[in-house]
Amino acid sequence: MSRSILISVQSFFLMLGLLMVLMPDNAAAKEIKLPFGIREYNIGLAPNFKLADIDGEMFDLKSTRGRWVFLHFWASWCGPCREEMPTIQALSETIDEDKLHFVLVNAAEDEDTIFKFLGVVAPNLTSMMDADGQITEIWKPRGLPTTFLIDPEGRVRYQAIGGREWGLPVYRQFVQSLISP
Amino acid sequence: MLWLIFSAALTTQALAPLSVVNEQLIIEFKPRSPDQMASFYEARGFPKVMRDILRKQCYITVGITNTSQQKIWLDLADWKFSANGKKLERQHRDHWKQRWQDMGMPLRHQSTFRWTLIPEALDYLPGEHEGGNLVLPFSKEQITLDAVFATGENKQGKPIHIHYDQIYCAEDSP
Repeated sequence: MSRSILISVQSFFLMLGLLMVLMPDNAAAKEIKLPFGIREYNIGLAPNFKLADIDGEMFDLKSTRGRWVFLHFWASWCGPCREEMPTIQALSETIDEDKLHFVLVNAAEDEDTIFKFLGVVAPNLTSMMDADGQITEIWKPRGLPTTFLIDPEGRVRYQAIGGREWGLPVYRQFVQSLISP
Repeated sequence: MLWLIFSAALTTQALAPLSVVNEQLIIEFKPRSPDQMASFYEARGFPKVMRDILRKQCYITVGITNTSQQKIWLDLADWKFSANGKKLERQHRDHWKQRWQDMGMPLRHQSTFRWTLIPEALDYLPGEHEGGNLVLPFSKEQITLDAVFATGENKQGKPIHIHYDQIYCAEDSP
């Protein structure tokens, strides 16, 4: 009887050990639940670009390595962009900028248009100016608006389809789950 | 999403939408008048030479929503338009790209114009809504659309056939 108990205990620990070896590490095993409108989008390394923002400051996407990036393409004439932009601002105010960098790219409009739009709709945000629309062409969003989420190694990982209400808990939790260790 | 673009931008009263509703998708059509389109593009800085060309076309803003639980594939090559029994040839976005390039139009206007067009092809995920403008030759006749959508992950599901004959080109008010 005691021998069979010993064998059972040994088998249990053997199985446990095997499971520990076979299971991926915690980070890899972390399951991320995708909210509606977010899909996995593993297209490899993010195409790099350098653009000026509305204040003339140059930005290089590569400079964001080590942080997640919220890359958002928009235009002032796009109705859903107008609805979504304040929610992006709200999200940006709850997230540690050292962990998630917000990069807005306006598709082919001038700085006056961008300035007026953001001044009314999301005054705390700034945007890069893709003045001739060529960076937007390279990134090929499905439509405007579109958001890409890029991981700290510079790989595109997720795509948000259309306008999302980023202020909702489900989206905030999703973003938090990405940047949490 | 692009089907809503003009709601924020146009001052002119939009015409009532026409729609096709079946158990898997909803398609909405909003005819836009030449004045509406010219105003929209003028506000984006398009030069007169572009606007004059665009004024002569027929614009239908189309919004498509996938209300099914499977992928639905839009391919405008499978959309056939006719008016009074005669084929109506839709201009492909490559046609416009070439035309603007040949005219030496600024890249930013070329880009904006492209983004206002409905994609030539797109896989609609369940619940997704996207759209944009169709550009057709102007016709005073009622326009009929016969469209086919592939379905399923690998386009091997039962295709969706749409027949709709209530489309028209909007004209400016006298």
